[in-house]
Amino acid sequence: MTSKAEFLARIRTEMAKTPGLFTAAPAERPAQPRQRLDILRRELSERWPQMLERFRSEFERVAGVFHRVPTAAEVPAALERICRERAVRRVVTWPAEKLGVAIAPALGAAGIAVESMPHASVPDTERDRLRGTIAAADLGVTGADLAVAETGTLVLVSAAGRPRSTSLLPPCHVAIFDRAALVESLEQVGLALEAWHDGPAPPERGAVINFITGPSRTADIELTLTRGVHGPKEIHAIFVDGGLARHD
Amino acid sequence: MTEPIVTTPLRERATNALGDRLLHEALDIATTRFITLRREAFDDFPEGEQLRDRARAIKEATLQRLDTYLEMLVANVERLGGHVHFAATAEEARDIVLGIARRTGARMAVKSKSMATEEIHLNDALQAIGVTPVETDLGEYIIQLAHERPSHIIAPAIHKTKGQVAELFSRELGRPGLPADPEVLTKIAREELREKFLQADLGMTGANFAVADSGTGVLVTNEGNGRMATSLPRVHVAVMGVEKVIPSMTDLAVFLAILAKSATGQKLSVYTTLVQGPRRPGELEGPDEFHLVLLDNGRIAQIGGTLRESLYCLRCGACLNVCPVYRQIGGHAYGYTYPGPIGILLTAMINGPGSVKDLAHASSLCGACAEACPVRIDIPRMLIELRREMDARRIAPWTERVVFKTFARILRSPWLYRVGARIGRIAQRPFVRDGRIRALPFFFGHWTRTRDLPAVSARTFQERWRDL
Repeated sequence: MTSKAEFLARIRTEMAKTPGLFTAAPAERPAQPRQRLDILRRELSERWPQMLERFRSEFERVAGVFHRVPTAAEVPAALERICRERAVRRVVTWPAEKLGVAIAPALGAAGIAVESMPHASVPDTERDRLRGTIAAADLGVTGADLAVAETGTLVLVSAAGRPRSTSLLPPCHVAIFDRAALVESLEQVGLALEAWHDGPAPPERGAVINFITGPSRTADIELTLTRGVHGPKEIHAIFVDGGLARHD
Repeated sequence: MTEPIVTTPLRERATNALGDRLLHEALDIATTRFITLRREAFDDFPEGEQLRDRARAIKEATLQRLDTYLEMLVANVERLGGHVHFAATAEEARDIVLGIARRTGARMAVKSKSMATEEIHLNDALQAIGVTPVETDLGEYIIQLAHERPSHIIAPAIHKTKGQVAELFSRELGRPGLPADPEVLTKIAREELREKFLQADLGMTGANFAVADSGTGVLVTNEGNGRMATSLPRVHVAVMGVEKVIPSMTDLAVFLAILAKSATGQKLSVYTTLVQGPRRPGELEGPDEFHLVLLDNGRIAQIGGTLRESLYCLRCGACLNVCPVYRQIGGHAYGYTYPGPIGILLTAMINGPGSVKDLAHASSLCGACAEACPVRIDIPRMLIELRREMDARRIAPWTERVVFKTFARILRSPWLYRVGARIGRIAQRPFVRDGRIRALPFFFGHWTRTRDLPAVSARTFQERWRDL
């Protein structure tokens, strides 16, 4: 087997053959990404209605279903409507603290089985059981760390209480977000990613960040667009005008 | 070195492809659609041109300090609890993956679409040690069930009709009488593959990028199989060419903005998954082990070689769609893992220039590929350099070398040119019909089989000039 030292030595030998072919530089990184992100967020907070409108139109362009409610108190009713229209019986969700709104009591009262994901480590047997529950669920509810107007994309960071498969295994995914998540462009997502990786990661941070742009799709059979091949067939976003309880 | 997939000569493969009417129609529809979608995506995105330049500069800058960025990547992946392996050859890469599979007692591997694992022919190797590899990209799954090879980088099964897929699924999955309906067939594949995802021990992926400063592997998919493979199995192994490393998240944002637009005309693919090592404490899912296999297999030698620029390639497939040769013969006729214009260069990089002595000529050098390439790789220039190299190394057939040497000599000398024109005028007589040379004897016939030549004129320009 080739060792790291041998491998890098070979690369250096080859590099030595082309010293300074021509100058090129990677993209310039922000010097203090956290501060830059804070400043950006303040700027963006003034134009959130435009951002939201762009997000809505792009999200719908990629076959997302957009909903808007005045306050967090209306979220459970909106969810219940989505569930009722699809005869949903089993829901898995991020816990209320991670969502910024409690949905389980209302859905439970409507006769829907709701399982909230644990926010700490669980034994392996419980992990297996929960995986089965998520795989069998009809609908998964999550929050969103970013909502990107330019592309209609939702960005979700995994963590304890924020399992990756809640937005993946059920045939329907609903993400709840507010104006704090809105950014305009992929470039701004780049800044957010820089800020999140500036310094040591918070201990509760998970190992995966997912960008989700519409429902799972394929065109592999005769280029016919088909949805829901591995991930959800449907994706909904509920925007809360009055904001969600801050969860971090 | 990777062994060639087919042993029939290119001419025969191309002739077969040209005779396949169904393939032809499918290629025409698919490539035309991709071209349109790509153009519309960039028309809607005025900053696209500038971002393409930036993306190209990032690739170049990364190569100029590749050792530094790789070291940074390795340090960060290890800091996050992942393991990094170094494979100089395809064989080493296979052995590394097989070692991991054996040690972890894996029985089944779910694979997210990956050119790098195709390149190292991983599936056969896994199979040989009793690990069942399951391709999970729908197109790749169809191809695997049919025991075929992908025909397009991003749409591997474009050569199959829905009728053929229905028949294939009915037979191979024991579900007789399936309708030729993509919706139904996709649902069947979802059910079949969902089971596999939940059972598999090993998730095999490639990586579209790896971000050095945070130790992040990046996977782009539309179906979600990349997410499945990195969330559900207990071991995740990513195999990635060394050139896929990029410095920072800021750079990543630049590439994401142009990759999907070039490939499928989407603003962004449905799923972009950033993976940072194994499952963290408190996380419900994610692998116990994360392995990154860094693959050389001919790449490193090109850092200072003639094919350096092909190390910029993002594997988007845009150059395939616009290539007049690819559009006629499709991916299989190229005979190796990577088809299309960039595929010729990558094949030469992986298997040596000798492997493309015919393929290097399977290009009209029209330049459409370079224009479509999101990072503006000058593919025609490198194809010409490959041809030159083959001439220098005497890889081309001797007849071809003699003919072109002689031709070059004649063109360089005005005297020889004049004499040559006179001889040609006489020698061509038996072959000229209606002012064109349509059939030549001996090996020259290869040229006139599909083309004709203008006859040498009765009076050359120089002769006429003298008389004026």
